[in-house]
Amino acid sequence: MNRRQFLASTAAGMLAAPALLRGADAQEGPFRVKYYPVAAGMGSRDVTPAPDGTIWFCGQRNGKLGRLDPRDGSFKLVDLGKGAAPHGVVIGPDGAPWVTEGGQNAIARVDPGDHQVTLFRLPEKEAYANLNTAVFDKSGIYWFTGQSGIYGRLDPKSGDMTVFKAPRGRGPYGITVTPKGDVWYASLSGNHIARIDLATGNATIVEPPTSNQGARRVWSDSRGRLWVSEWNSGNVSMHDPADGSWKAWKLPGDSPRTYSVYVDDNDKVWLTDFSANAIVRFDPLTEKFNAFPSDKPGANVRQMDGRPGEAWGGESGTNRLVVIQTVAPA
Amino acid sequence: MRFLAGLLLLPILMALPAAAEENGDRLFAPCRACHSLDPAEQGLPGPNLAGLIGRKIGGDTAFDYSPVLRKARDDGLRWDTQRLETFLADPQEMFPGLWMSMRGIEDAAERQSLVRFLAAPSSR
Repeated sequence: MNRRQFLASTAAGMLAAPALLRGADAQEGPFRVKYYPVAAGMGSRDVTPAPDGTIWFCGQRNGKLGRLDPRDGSFKLVDLGKGAAPHGVVIGPDGAPWVTEGGQNAIARVDPGDHQVTLFRLPEKEAYANLNTAVFDKSGIYWFTGQSGIYGRLDPKSGDMTVFKAPRGRGPYGITVTPKGDVWYASLSGNHIARIDLATGNATIVEPPTSNQGARRVWSDSRGRLWVSEWNSGNVSMHDPADGSWKAWKLPGDSPRTYSVYVDDNDKVWLTDFSANAIVRFDPLTEKFNAFPSDKPGANVRQMDGRPGEAWGGESGTNRLVVIQTVAPA
Repeated sequence: MRFLAGLLLLPILMALPAAAEENGDRLFAPCRACHSLDPAEQGLPGPNLAGLIGRKIGGDTAFDYSPVLRKARDDGLRWDTQRLETFLADPQEMFPGLWMSMRGIEDAAERQSLVRFLAAPSSR
């Protein structure tokens, strides 16, 4: 039994040691890994914690938004409409989940009380936006990306929506807001990140130093530094807009494929690597990686989010949610 | 009378292939975020789809495929129109663990339009 197999046999609901360390003298943790099965065939992907302790998650394959109660593992499904294919979900200032609903080419708000769905459709001329991910800025405006080559803003109060053409066309994918309030997105096909001027809507491109890196997702840390998951290069990179600097680290293993990035409340960086079928934690202070391979093949965690002490993801390939808890020392 | 009806239908029948192609182009629009039909366009997040029909699954030599598609390639599987249509109905069902993420196309007519579009040399 190798280390990965050992972890796979012990992961669910148990204390888990990180299975893969690179240049590490001592491992952090311990960590507790838990899996929550949801509906078969739903393709559970992007997640976000709700204020009441539940976890919202997107079922891209079955057009549902799910709500998991981690206390007992039960879940509810909300039908978003005919042909729905939800991609991303975030919590709005109103406490409701807001969904980039690519199937109906609309932004969907789901009332957290009665689960009623309200759709904000994109203009007809942007019929194939391929909606991807969104964030709320500090003034409550919802900013979203569309992989076909757009980004946009929606005022949830008035319903006013404006769609902008991305400067290099197709590619806009992940999006983040910094503590200062700046909004940045990553362009997967465009191989860059870009800052949106919230007043004009114009986007300014910033090029990572690695060419053709495939910047898929981006997440700000508490200092406003931007962490980027680079799909093509297998790197995680970090850009500090304050001084324009970049740093990059290759994930462990052969041919890593860095899909997603999330930065937790302690500024630890959580990544997913499709080649390793693993969630990978990166500590910027020690520059060391801990990997948590799934106990099932083809897990394909496409996004992560969390709350203090918990990093959550959706295993789109196994129809489960996964949480890695940082266990407080006794 | 039949002749007259045939004459009246002729413009409609002639327009059908063009309409189907237009429909296929429309259906392919979201796919263009990751795929190209121009053989010269490489380096996108998805494999190049020029000449897909008849090609081995996982057959873009410049592309790094999901393990499940690499296995299909190693097993010698090829894309034909029927397999592609079944795939488009639910890609994850055919290839569990596929890295590409999309909801399948439920409408059979839409799937067929997209397959015809991808199979047509004029789409490249």
